[in-house]
Amino acid sequence: MAGALTTVLSGSLIYAMLGLVTTMFGIAGLYVYLNAPFLAMMQILIYVGAITILIAFAIMLAGPFYKRPKEWNTVGKLVASLVVALFSFFMFSSFIMKVSWGEGKGGLSLATKDIGRALFDRYALPFELISLVIVVSIIGAIMLAIFSKGEK
Amino acid sequence: MMSTLLYDNLNIYLFLGIFLLSCGILGILYRRTLIAMLISIELIMNGAGLNLVAFNRFVSPQGPDGMVFTLFIMGLAAAEAAIALAVIILIFRRYKTIESSEMEEMKD
Repeated sequence: MAGALTTVLSGSLIYAMLGLVTTMFGIAGLYVYLNAPFLAMMQILIYVGAITILIAFAIMLAGPFYKRPKEWNTVGKLVASLVVALFSFFMFSSFIMKVSWGEGKGGLSLATKDIGRALFDRYALPFELISLVIVVSIIGAIMLAIFSKGEK
Repeated sequence: MMSTLLYDNLNIYLFLGIFLLSCGILGILYRRTLIAMLISIELIMNGAGLNLVAFNRFVSPQGPDGMVFTLFIMGLAAAEAAIALAVIILIFRRYKTIESSEMEEMKD
């Protein structure tokens, strides 16, 4: 939670990225608590290993981000966005307190083999679709990098 | 509601998911740079994935459905981050800024 707050509220982009890393490690720990160690491993690999490095490269390529104008963050904007975020928080939490989910017995112990089997057995079509989406996004990113007009 | 252990309760994870969602909304509205907005979107997606895994653990513990969908969410987040960062670098090359308030024209 502290990592998420750091992510949102810190002034610099580098600190925001480090807060994202902290949040991802926290969520990976929660996945371990939820009997999903495979998901925890994938979380650390994908987010900390891939996305954060990508964001770091983008921050470094996007140049002098530390030169801020004076009207970088106004107090009114902070108050307005805080109001919206707190309103959504309390609305959803009241919704949670109202509904009682039928909490079943615990004891979910799934091996990685079960996840793989479900991934290729029941969810074969979404799996192929997600891989298609990833390929298209990679090709789109390369095309954007190649065929851009560059500096005007 | 009162459970023996704190992490053995469904509502804790739901509140944490809501907290991540609120932090993401706050970040999208508050931060000015596009990369910070992208990071906030990642926060929202992680809140959704945490909710899915918690529901899979506590409500329907007979199949790995929530874990599979969380894996799909991770893949979508990776693809979206790649596309968005390419677009952000293009925008920076053209406008020399990554602040969202500075961009007023779509093409020129």
